[in-house]
Amino acid sequence: MGIISVEKLDHLYWLGRYTERVYTTLRKFYDIYDQMIESPEGAYRKYCERLNIPDIYESNKDFTYSYLFDIKNPDSIFANMGRAFDNAIVLRDELSSNVLSYVQLALDTLGASAQTTAPLLELQQVIDYLLAFWGCVDDYVEEEECRNILKCGKYIERLDLYIRLDYNRKDIEKEYSKLQNRIQKTHMCYNEKNLECLGRMIEEKADWKTGYQEALGYLGGII
Amino acid sequence: MRELIDHTEGINRLLARYGVKFGLYKNGNFHEQLFPFDAIPRVISHEDFLYLEKGLIQRVDALNLFLNDVYGDKKIIKDGVIPEEFVFSSSGYLPECEGMVPPKGIHSHISGIDLVLGKDKEWYILEDNLRIPSGASYPMIAREICRQASPRTFHNHLIVDNRNYAEMLREMMDYVNVGGIPVIMTPGRYNAAYFEHSFLAERTGCELAMCSDLFVEKNFLYYKDYRGEKKKVGVIYRRISDEYLDPMTFLPESLIGVPNIMDVYRSGNVSIVNAPGNGVADDKGIYYFVPRMIRYYLDQEPVLKNAPTYLPFYEEDKKYVLDHLDKLVVKDVAEAGGYGVIFGNELSKEKLSDLKELIERESRRFIAQEVIDFQDLNIMEGEEMVPRKADLRAFVLSGKETKVWASGLTRFSRKADSFVVNSSQGGGFKDTWVLSR
Amino acid sequence: MSLRFTEPVWDHYFALRCIPGNDENQKITITSRYVQPTDSMDEVTDGFGNHKYVGHYADLHRKFEYEVEGIAQVEGMRIRKEELHPMYRYPSEFTQCGPQIQAYADRMSNLEGTNLERAIQVMHQLYEHFQYKSGVTDIHTTAEEAMRLGQGVCQDYAHIMIAVLRRMGIPARYVNGLMIGEGYTHAWVEIYTGEGWYGLDPTNNLHVDDYYIKIAHGRDYKDCVLDKGRFLGMTEQTQEIYVNVEEMK
Repeated sequence: MGIISVEKLDHLYWLGRYTERVYTTLRKFYDIYDQMIESPEGAYRKYCERLNIPDIYESNKDFTYSYLFDIKNPDSIFANMGRAFDNAIVLRDELSSNVLSYVQLALDTLGASAQTTAPLLELQQVIDYLLAFWGCVDDYVEEEECRNILKCGKYIERLDLYIRLDYNRKDIEKEYSKLQNRIQKTHMCYNEKNLECLGRMIEEKADWKTGYQEALGYLGGII
Repeated sequence: MRELIDHTEGINRLLARYGVKFGLYKNGNFHEQLFPFDAIPRVISHEDFLYLEKGLIQRVDALNLFLNDVYGDKKIIKDGVIPEEFVFSSSGYLPECEGMVPPKGIHSHISGIDLVLGKDKEWYILEDNLRIPSGASYPMIAREICRQASPRTFHNHLIVDNRNYAEMLREMMDYVNVGGIPVIMTPGRYNAAYFEHSFLAERTGCELAMCSDLFVEKNFLYYKDYRGEKKKVGVIYRRISDEYLDPMTFLPESLIGVPNIMDVYRSGNVSIVNAPGNGVADDKGIYYFVPRMIRYYLDQEPVLKNAPTYLPFYEEDKKYVLDHLDKLVVKDVAEAGGYGVIFGNELSKEKLSDLKELIERESRRFIAQEVIDFQDLNIMEGEEMVPRKADLRAFVLSGKETKVWASGLTRFSRKADSFVVNSSQGGGFKDTWVLSR
Repeated sequence: MSLRFTEPVWDHYFALRCIPGNDENQKITITSRYVQPTDSMDEVTDGFGNHKYVGHYADLHRKFEYEVEGIAQVEGMRIRKEELHPMYRYPSEFTQCGPQIQAYADRMSNLEGTNLERAIQVMHQLYEHFQYKSGVTDIHTTAEEAMRLGQGVCQDYAHIMIAVLRRMGIPARYVNGLMIGEGYTHAWVEIYTGEGWYGLDPTNNLHVDDYYIKIAHGRDYKDCVLDKGRFLGMTEQTQEIYVNVEEMK
C-alpha cells in the first residue's frame, strides 16, 4: 500500500467535503426547522442566499421535504449524501469495509427517513453515523496520508459553510488552525498565499455580513 | 441452525450495511440490488468434499494443461482427441497468446466450477468458468456475519472456516508475481461485481486500480501515484474481460483497458490473473471434451461427471438432439450468465421447429444437455420452508499447488419452477458449509 | 507516415507494425528509424510473429510521424517452410462465409490439382471477376460485402480470396507489405502448400516475387493493422502514408 492515485486523492478529498456538508447543513437544518415553526413562510430564503443555492422552494413545507430528501434537487442533503457515498464506494481498500459501512448506513437511513412522519427524529441517526464515520476514520484508516487528505476536505468544507453562515469568530479561527495544521502534513500541492490571505481576513473580521465572497475566493483557491 | 434462520433479517441487514450488492443494467440504467441471503446453509459432508476436491483438482489441472497445450504444442489436436475447429474457431481462442507460456505456466489461476447435485446423489459439472469467475466474496462476508449471529453453531470446529479465501488468493498471486506490487483491476463501480472487486482488494491488501491508474512504459506495467511516482506492477488480477483488456490489441474503440498491456504480458514482465485466452477452455462446446482431456493429459478416469451432453457437431448426436429436443436443454456456446439457455419443454411447436432448423444450420453453435433432476435445497420464504433449485460454484485456486476452497457460492432460484439461479435473474445465495469430520 | 490532428491530443499510445521481419525469404537491414514524438518506445513481437514498435507520448501534440529506411534482400516465389497453424483454416471476422462467398467457392469446387495449383486458378478467376476500384469499400468491408459489390481494393481481393480458399479447404492468410515503386502499402495472400506458405497477389494476378517486401501476416486485415493508436482529445485526424521501394543493382 502507501500509494494513492490521482483519482483516489480526488475521491478522498471530496468524501471529506461531502460528509462534512451533510453533517453541518443537517445540524443547521435543526435550527431552521425550529425557526420555521413560528415564522412566516419563506424563513429559509436567507439561508439559500448565503449558501448560494437557488431558492426553488414554494413553502416551508416544500423546503423541508425537497431540501432534505429530494434526490432530483441537486442541492438537497440527500443528493449531497449520495455524492459522499459515490466517493466512498470507490475507496473500500483505503477506508476498509468497516469505515465504509457508516457512509452506507448514513445514506440508507437518510433515504428511509423520508418515509416517516417525523423525519427529524430519525435524522439524528444520520448525524450519529457521520460522527461514527469520522471516529472510525481515525482508528481504522491505516494510511496517514489518506486521513490527512480526508480531513483537509472536511475542514475546507467546514470553513466554507461557517463563513457563509456567519458562525462566530472563535469557531472559524479554530477550524482555520485545524486546516492549517493538517494541510502542512499532506503531500498535496496547495496555494500558500491564499491560505495566508484567508488567515488574515479571519483575524481581522468581526463578522461575515460582508466580505465573505472574498474570503470564499481565497478558500476555494487553496487546493 | 434454527438460530441462524431466526436471525435471517438481522444478517441481511448487516450485509446491506457492508454494501453486499450486485449491479444490474435495466433499460440502460445502472442500479444496485442487494443479493438476498438465505440462512439455511448448503452442507457438504467431509467425505463428499474430499471427493469433490479430488475431482475438481483433477479437472482444473487438466484444463490448465489443455490451455498450455493449445497455445503451445497442440498435441491434443494433433492426436485427434479434440477436433480443431472447436478450438481455433472459438471466440475465446486468442492468437495473440500463441506461443505464450504465462509465469509459472499457469493459465487458470482462479477457476469457478459450477456443479449441481442430482436427485441420484451424484454431483454433475455444469460448466467451467476460467475467465473471471465471481462470487467468492459473498460467502466470505456472510460467514463472518453468521458467526456473529450464532456463535454456538460454529464453536466446535465442525464447519471448516472459509474466511481464508483472501489469504489463498494472495498466496497464489504472490507465487506468480514477477516482481512488483499486486493490484486488482476493476472497470469501475458500475460493474456488476464491483462490491467483490473492492472487497477482495481490501482483504488481500492489493491495490485496487482503475484502468486509468495503470500505464505501460518501456514494456513494464506501472501504477501511478498522485505525486507522480510510479510503482511497478508484478501481478494484476484483472476483473475485466479479455476483449477490453488492451484496446491496442483487441477492441480499439474500447475506452477501458490498458493500452499495450498485452505486450508487457507477452514479454513476461507482468503476470495476468487469469491469463488472457482462457475462453478457449471454458467454451460450452469444449466442455464436452473435458473428460477426454483428463484421460489424455493425466491418464486418469474423470472423478466428476459432466451432465450428459450432446454435440450436434457429431451426426449421431445431432440426430439424438433433433429427436429429443422437447426434453433437452439447449445452450448457445457463445452466451454466459444464464442467457442463451433454452428449455425444449417450454417451447411451442413452432419455436421448436425453428430451433431444430437453427441447430441443423449452425450445429457448431449449440450443445444440448439432459435436464438434470436437481436435488432441491430448502430456503425460507417468510415463515415457510420451501424447496428451490440450487447450484454450487466451487473455487479452485492454482498457484504452487492446486487448492479447492472449502466453501463455495450456493445460488438458488427465486421462483419455484425455475432452474435459473443467476443473481441477474433474481436469485439469492446461501453459505456453503464443508464439514471437517 | 504522418498523422496530423486539428486539435492537440495527449496521452497517446501507439503500436506500429511498419518493420518487415527477417525470414528465409527476406533479409532486412534497417538503416534509419525515426518515430516522433515519443516518451518511450519498445520493439516487440506479437502472437503472429510480426514485429511491432509500441510506445507512448504523454504531452500535447498535433503531429505524430514515423519514417523507416532500410535494405531488403528478397528472394520471392519461394515457399516459406513452416508448420501450419490450424487457425488459418477457419473463417475469421473479415472472411466469414456468407452466401456470396459460398456460391463462389462452390463454383471452384471442381478445380483439380495441388493446393497451390488450385489457389492459382482461384486467383486468375478472381482477377477476372472482380474489379479494382478505390473508394467503394473501406477498411471495415468484409469479404462477403466486397464480393456483393464486385469491386474494391487490394484488401478486398485478399479477403475474398482467403475466404474462398478456406471454404475450399485450403489454408490461407492475409499479408501486408510493400511493392516496388512509390505509393501506398499493399496486401496479398499466402496459401499453405502442404509444407509452407507461398505468396499470391490477386490484385495483380501475380506470384509474389522479388519485388514484394512482406511486413506482417494474420488471419485477416484486423490482425496486421499497420498502425494503431489511442489518444485523448477532441480532434479530427488526417493520415498520410508514403512508401518508396527501389531496386538496388
